[in-house]
Formats: sequence, structure tokens, C-alpha cells
Amino acid sequence: MSIMQYNGGCLVGMKGKNCVAIASDRRFGVQALGLSTNFQRMFSVSNRLYYGLAGLGTDVQTLSEKFRMSVNMYKLKEERDIAPTTFASLVSSTLYERRFGPYFSEPVIVGLEKDDTPFICATDLIGCINFAKDFVVTGTSSEQLYGMCEALWEPDLEPEDLFETISQAMLNAVDRDALSGWGAVVHVITPTQVITRTLKGRMD
Amino acid sequence: MAPQDWMEAEKQGAVSHAFSPYTDNGGTSLAIAGEDFCLVAADTRQSEGYSINSRYAPKAYKFSNGAVLATSGMHADGHTLAKRLEQRLEWYEHNHGKKMSVGAMAQMLSTILYQKRFFPYYTFNILGGLDEHGKGAIYTYDPVGSHEREGWRAAGSGGSLVQPFLDNQIGHKHQQSPQVPITLEKALKVAKDAFSGAAERDIYTGDMAELFIITKDGVHVEQYPLKRD
Repeated sequence: MSIMQYNGGCLVGMKGKNCVAIASDRRFGVQALGLSTNFQRMFSVSNRLYYGLAGLGTDVQTLSEKFRMSVNMYKLKEERDIAPTTFASLVSSTLYERRFGPYFSEPVIVGLEKDDTPFICATDLIGCINFAKDFVVTGTSSEQLYGMCEALWEPDLEPEDLFETISQAMLNAVDRDALSGWGAVVHVITPTQVITRTLKGRMD
Repeated sequence: MAPQDWMEAEKQGAVSHAFSPYTDNGGTSLAIAGEDFCLVAADTRQSEGYSINSRYAPKAYKFSNGAVLATSGMHADGHTLAKRLEQRLEWYEHNHGKKMSVGAMAQMLSTILYQKRFFPYYTFNILGGLDEHGKGAIYTYDPVGSHEREGWRAAGSGGSLVQPFLDNQIGHKHQQSPQVPITLEKALKVAKDAFSGAAERDIYTGDMAELFIITKDGVHVEQYPLKRD
């Protein structure tokens, strides 16, 4: 029984043409017992920067509150929004602070930089950043998500196509993982707007 | 460790020196059953830990009755199992005067595996062929013989990467595609894309994939090179 597989859940982030997308499932459970079908594991930093946290539920919630505090302090002092790369470093250092007693959570960060360039990255539970140019996955169905993304993703997908691609990756991957699923949410971020959709999927 | 060191070891705490008869040689296999064909495929890389033992050690075996068995897990057990299966096929043909059907072979494989219930063959098998109506048939097994006929299956180290992709493309899950049976061309494309994807993200999968295409005209083998990193 691994601590990272106690509550279940997963996330995927993808890069598109002048857009990014992030998707998560909605299950929260205690090992085999499912408890919630609307557990929030994606959070917004701004309307151009979103992140998600997979892993132990309590750490997902604690870290999201810590990041909210840190970002708010940043905004007050800097009088500007935090850049995606800066936020990624913030996440990394917050996690590494607990190097020998870590938070059991692995984040995925997606957003648009100041010049609207798409940005995605993920880190491990102690803050090692993976700056990907295609997609990032995390959670109990990460292997399934890797397989789906590797097969379905192609560069320069338009927002509507990116939505279809990330949704198919999520829905098919979680159906092969007992600890993930029970609903899914997708955010597609473009320079002008964020479109949030709830997916219809198997609820078993 | 010499006998005089055993006392020291005991004082420090128990040290385990067990020999494990099993090893994991990695690799990915898959099979797709069509209306009038069956596709069975496996990569050819054999690994142990972080080393590559061989870039060409096939783990799909063709049998005299036109069936193909794809194994994954431990190569030695897969190879020996295939040898024993072929021996049983030969006996059957001499005793009954006809080749063993795929359905009968599938049941037999299950009993052969269960006979080693307390020292199993460390193999995750997929058996493919044409059933008595000429339709594609694949049977999937666990190491001790639990089996089931399915339409598509992926197994091995890259199995978890490939399986959801097959569900989506072969089973049309989460899609509103018209329910037309899968063509051989589509199955081959899906299988090759699946192996390419698995080779990217799974370190134990790569080098080459061997695809066995089973039709009423026999078994045709295609080799598909994969990334060697």
C-alpha cells in the first residue's frame, strides 16, 4: 500500500497552438472505498495560469492553501501577476523545503506566459521540475495517461481539438484505473478566455 | 560470506540470501481479433534491470495449428511454455488425426498453467488465432490460467500504456463511431502506433515489434523497427 495510492486521482496537462489545457478526474476515496465525486484538485492562480495536484488528498488541500498564500503575498509585494515559470519555481522550492518529510503530492502546472507562449510543466513530490514540450501526466493512472497522450497528441492543436484530445486521453485512461475517474473536468486556456467543461464519463 | 561471518551477520540482524527463481525480462505484447483475421504482436527487446540482454529475442511464438502465443514477463518461462504447448499439439494431432482448434488449445493452456499453481510460469499470455467459424479469436491469461476470450488486449510492461489506447481505437470507447468491425489495415496502424507510444515512455519496450497476421491463408509476419534507446 503506497501512500501515493491511498486516495487516488490523476491529472494531465497539454500544450496546443497558443493555448494550453489541464484536466483532472473527480474521485476522492480511501483505498477501495469511493467517497466523493467532486473532489477539487485543480486550482487557478490567475486567468492565465492553472495548476493541479495529485496524490494524498490532505496534501492537495494544504498545498493549494499554501500556494494561495504565497501567490497573494507575491501579488501584494510585486504588484503584478506571477509568471508561469516563477510559479513553477515557487512550487518546486515549497516542495523541496520538505525534502526529508515530503508532501505526498505531484503537481501539474499549465499557463500562458506574458507573450502568450504556452507553458506546461510538472514536478515530482520533492520539486524536480519537468519542463515538457508536449504533455505532462501525474496520478494513479499516469501510465495509462502516458500511453493515451503519446498516441493521441500532436503539436499545434487548436483549442477545440486540444479539448477533444485531452478529454479522450483522460476518459480512456481512467477507465483502466480503479482509483481514478468518477467524473472529469477540463480547463482550456487561451489568451482571451478560459473554457471549463465537465466531462460525461463512466461513474464506476 | 564465510561461515565465521554468519555469527556477525546474526548479531547485526537477519540477512536474506534467498535465490529467486523468477526474473522480469520486460517487454510489451498485444493482440486484436477481427472479423476474419487475428493480429498478435510483441516487441523483441529482452531486459533485466537497467540492462538490455538482447535487441532481438522474440516473445511471440507461432504454432503448427496456426495459433500464435504472445508471452510477457519471464522469457525463460514463456519459451518453455511455448515448447510444451507445441509438444502437446503434436501429440493431439497424432492421437486425433486432426489439428487442435484454437478454442481447445485455449482451454488446454489454462490447465497447463494451473498445473503449476504452486510454482507458476511467470508469464502473462495472450493466445490468438481463428475460431472454428473463421473469426478472429484471442484469449488472455493470468500466470495461473485464469482466462477469457476478448476482442483486444495488451500485456507486459507497457500493457497499462497500450490498453486504454486499444479500448479507444478498437473498442470505440468514449466515441460515437459507427459500429463497423475493425479492418486489418486499421488494426495494423493502431498496433504500430501503440508500440511506438510504448517504446517512447516504457524503458523496457523498444528495438523492434514483430506482428503476426493470422488469416485463413496462414500466418504472415511483419517486422516494425522501434526506437533503440
